Amino acid sequence: MGRKSKYENTISKQYGELMAYCKGHMEQMDKTLPEPVEDFQTLLQERGISRRSFIKWTSLMTTALMLPPIFRPMVAKAAENFSRLPVVWLHFAECTGCSEALLRSSYPNVDDILLDTISLEYHETLMAAAGYQAEQNLEKAINDFNGKFICVIEGALPQGLDGKYLTLGPKGKTGVEVAKEVTSKAAAVICIGSCSSFGNVQAAKPNPTDSAGIGDVLGITTVNIAGCPPNSANFTGTLLHFLMFGALPPLDSLGRPTWAYGKRIHDFCERRPHYDAGEYVEEWGDGGAMKSWCLYKVGCKGPYTFANCSKVRFNDGVSWPVMGGHGCMGCTEPGFWDTMAPLEKPIADTTIGGGEKTVDKIGAVLTAVTVAGVAAHAGLSAIKHRGQNKE
Amino acid sequence: METIVPKKEWSVAIRLNHWSTVVAIFILIATGFYIAAPFTVNAGETVNKFLMGDVRFWHIFFGVLLVFAFLWRVYLAFFSRFHADWKDFFAWTDKKNFIKQIKFYLLISKERPDHNYLYGPLQSLAYAGLLFLLFLIVLTGLILLGAGYHAGWTSLVYTLVKPFENLMGGLAVVRWIHHILTWCFILFIVVHVYMAFWYDAVLQEGTISSMISGKVFRKNHSK
Repeated sequence: MGRKSKYENTISKQYGELMAYCKGHMEQMDKTLPEPVEDFQTLLQERGISRRSFIKWTSLMTTALMLPPIFRPMVAKAAENFSRLPVVWLHFAECTGCSEALLRSSYPNVDDILLDTISLEYHETLMAAAGYQAEQNLEKAINDFNGKFICVIEGALPQGLDGKYLTLGPKGKTGVEVAKEVTSKAAAVICIGSCSSFGNVQAAKPNPTDSAGIGDVLGITTVNIAGCPPNSANFTGTLLHFLMFGALPPLDSLGRPTWAYGKRIHDFCERRPHYDAGEYVEEWGDGGAMKSWCLYKVGCKGPYTFANCSKVRFNDGVSWPVMGGHGCMGCTEPGFWDTMAPLEKPIADTTIGGGEKTVDKIGAVLTAVTVAGVAAHAGLSAIKHRGQNKE
Repeated sequence: METIVPKKEWSVAIRLNHWSTVVAIFILIATGFYIAAPFTVNAGETVNKFLMGDVRFWHIFFGVLLVFAFLWRVYLAFFSRFHADWKDFFAWTDKKNFIKQIKFYLLISKERPDHNYLYGPLQSLAYAGLLFLLFLIVLTGLILLGAGYHAGWTSLVYTLVKPFENLMGGLAVVRWIHHILTWCFILFIVVHVYMAFWYDAVLQEGTISSMISGKVFRKNHSK
């Protein structure tokens, strides 16, 4: 072993302390959390996940959470405790696409099993109960696990008509009322998807229902797992972090976990070398597209989008939009339907006031008018000031 | 007898600042338009090509130069040892002279407005506007730079400017504003260069060369 530098010593000391804290917290959690319904290891075996695949998955999650390898056993332990964390899952103005994205996959991986076995106390799409019974379940869940459950929210909240654009259940409560009631008793609120995070398409112009994200409507701090839909790894990672440290991961200024949304898609894109080389797809299906060149000129919004899609990818790392040949449309950013439009053209081609008027066209016309104006002024000045300085 | 007396108008610092800003702005406009709408380099292997990389390098290089030129200009406005001209940016407050100036520009009257300030009334507005434009383009530029580079001073500056990114509504909007501002600069350059030539031709005081030599030539009426 070589000698360790002062930096390395500091780092290992810091991680040692973090490790001790993590261990202490997880022992505490072990006692307080409800007993698991099923044993996690047998569950994995039943679903055909080998021990090896599980260990590989823990390595991936540890790295994704930006922790050193010594934390792998803790991630594994947290995964075992995953199904013991009570979760109340609310749906507001949305398409259930996020739930679908998390629940469906080509074949089950560890993320999916975690989400399949998650202790859902209430989930409007998946629960068997209906009407008053469903309402009772929700009340029971939030009272039984008062201050202990995680509230996951999918969908934006319409505020127009006193919130009556969205009513839920037999009592006809508005979305805003339900959200207030449940989030006030939750240990943490996790907004899944861009709707609950920032409003998404419901809040796009002209926004007739006056929809907005949960944090904006209720004025509370939420963890925003943005994306349309978000990557399941970003959600499981955030819950794992909560299980391991009893706290939510560090968030950026828009409430998104920095471990997942700290860097731009563009910076880790596999097509980035083509961007720097000046190799662009000019139109769909051209020679550049066949050679997987950069999609900047066909409207890729990766340079303006903070997300880890290019690193984690979707469907077990099989692919992601840019790999599939279409540019990123910036779905993790607030108001992306408005700010990223037109989705298949670069930002420079955004039109003003409809029609064909881009900034470049307006600018060129204004410059031409100015040049003509000064030329005319020069001509008139020559007449007006003629001979004034004759000596 | 009428003599022509050279009068120092611009300090060395102001002149250096002016021309470094000019160089920076021209290169930034050219490279900026390439970044906004790049053309594809088809010939050659990817490993041997780095056009966008190089263009972005020079854009960032002169962008940072513009940041310092802007800060230097603001410093000079308050602390120049030759003439701190921050008060001259308020020449437009003189309403009477303002109207006189407009008449002079619209060729209605030949009477030259008073020269109470370093700048004319409209000129002061234009230059104050330019400083504001510079501030905005430098701010949006630093946001766009910091978003993709997470080390050293850049990241430090980025943490300072990040709130503005959220205020504007995300990087895409920042990028959009950056593009619009470019056209504002182009319009400013057309008018600014024309007015400099116009003054030189009409007043014959050497306006153009004053930004090189630092001196204008005033007629001195003495008996």
